[in-house]
Amino acid sequence: MSQYFTGVDIGSTMTKVVIMNQTTLASVIGPTGPEHRKLANRVMEEALAKAKLTFEDITYVVATGYGRINVPFADKQITEISCHARGVAHLLPEVRTVIDIGGQDSKGIKLKEGRAVDFVMNDKCAAGTGRFLEVTAEELGVSLEDMGRLSLEAKNKVEISSICTVFAAQEVVAKLSEGVALPDIIAGLHEAIAIRVYGMVRRLKIEREVALTGGGAKNIGLVKALEAKLGFPVLVPPEPLLTGAIGAALMGRDIVQEAVKKGETLVRSERRLTEASIFT
Amino acid sequence: MVYVVGIDIGSAFSKAVVMAENKIIAYQVLPSGGNYKITAEQITEKTLAKAKLSLKDIAYTVAVGYGAASVSFSSETASDISCLARGVHYLFPDARTAIDIGGQFTRVFKLDGRGKATAFLLSEKCAAGSGRFLQVIARVLQIDLEDIGELSLKSKNRVDFNTGCAVFAESEAVSRVAEGAAKEDILAGLHRTLAAKIQTMVARIGLEPDCAVVGGGAKDIGLVKSIEQGLGYRLLVPEEPQIVAALGAALLAEEKVSKGG
Repeated sequence: MSQYFTGVDIGSTMTKVVIMNQTTLASVIGPTGPEHRKLANRVMEEALAKAKLTFEDITYVVATGYGRINVPFADKQITEISCHARGVAHLLPEVRTVIDIGGQDSKGIKLKEGRAVDFVMNDKCAAGTGRFLEVTAEELGVSLEDMGRLSLEAKNKVEISSICTVFAAQEVVAKLSEGVALPDIIAGLHEAIAIRVYGMVRRLKIEREVALTGGGAKNIGLVKALEAKLGFPVLVPPEPLLTGAIGAALMGRDIVQEAVKKGETLVRSERRLTEASIFT
Repeated sequence: MVYVVGIDIGSAFSKAVVMAENKIIAYQVLPSGGNYKITAEQITEKTLAKAKLSLKDIAYTVAVGYGAASVSFSSETASDISCLARGVHYLFPDARTAIDIGGQFTRVFKLDGRGKATAFLLSEKCAAGSGRFLQVIARVLQIDLEDIGELSLKSKNRVDFNTGCAVFAESEAVSRVAEGAAKEDILAGLHRTLAAKIQTMVARIGLEPDCAVVGGGAKDIGLVKSIEQGLGYRLLVPEEPQIVAALGAALLAEEKVSKGG
């Protein structure tokens, strides 16, 4: 009988689910949002439908991400650092350092033999996270998706002097009214995030190869700004949002294989999809 | 009589004070807006009109604050901290420690018996460590900045923030409102977060009584009480906390005039 493993990654902004056996069979990315926080079950149902499986078919479910406690049907909760490391090591085995720029945090992870051996994280301050771009993009009246492309047209990148997101938002409005070209401002914003993230991750002693994951990796302008700081190109997985969920599914597979090897019985939750009743 | 002007162009508000013979003749507070040069002219004009004076009656003008360089008619510019210390000393001669809660920064400083600053700490330029935090949350809660203090005192069940970042706190406030939390309880939580940051600064520099609190943030009675509770110490609050730096600038102008004969 075929075995199926599921990883559920509840980030601050997006909820990601993957179902795997030997390869990824289905993946779903949906918003987290205040009203979606307890609805991991919906995203799971969608992923099962895509994979043409029932919940009974799933061998093991691992939840990760900052909202992992909101997944009542998971067999195990594992930190996003471990899952991220596992996912990246699987997708890009040559990677030694991971930089993840999420919606409300950013982190650096050092990998050794496919495992996280050290990490740094900022989830205290919006500067250097996706939120910084979200807030400033809104102030500029540009959609988040267009920021990367637009910044590539910059001819004379401006310097954003504020670290704080609130003050940076004010600063970009002032720059606009001074007549500074939009691409030059956006390039300045990417530079500001790159400086902040690079400054943090550098504490880990960056080793090549470096992978960039999270929503930030989908922004070509930000990727280029970080590469300029690092002085070499970064690797970006095909779907940079899914590494945590893929890692979670793989961690589930590891747990099952380990249990089989040791002849232990596997502790699993009831196969019933419900909304989370406790959520933070 | 010899008249002088002190003018403080802050990031959020501008203030002007007209003085003569060590007494305040008139003062004015206006939002700074986008063009500091125009704001400086407007506020000086209004303050002088209150004192029934014109610019030619003014012997000396000292400019201070974020936009001090935009005051084209000033005789000189001065540092924020020296003006604040002078202003605090004028109002409270026994003050040896002062907290200034401004629109971009919070400053904590020590001053001697002559009104000279002897040490100071500046917060990071972080919205959650300055008066800006109050503006951010006031907007979410759709209340006027001036009403925050009084409203917060009605809180019975303070809602604490899980974050020390104004951007994340903004989203948290939205969630709490959606969950039905009372505005006053959210404001009380906001005050606690800001007060905690300020207390840490005060502890670092060392509280030496008396301690005064000035700047726009000092107009918020809820914030002042929250800092007092945290420090376990009663603070001195001027009647017009916002004009202290402008007042200090005017005092400096008077000094210059008297020295010049």
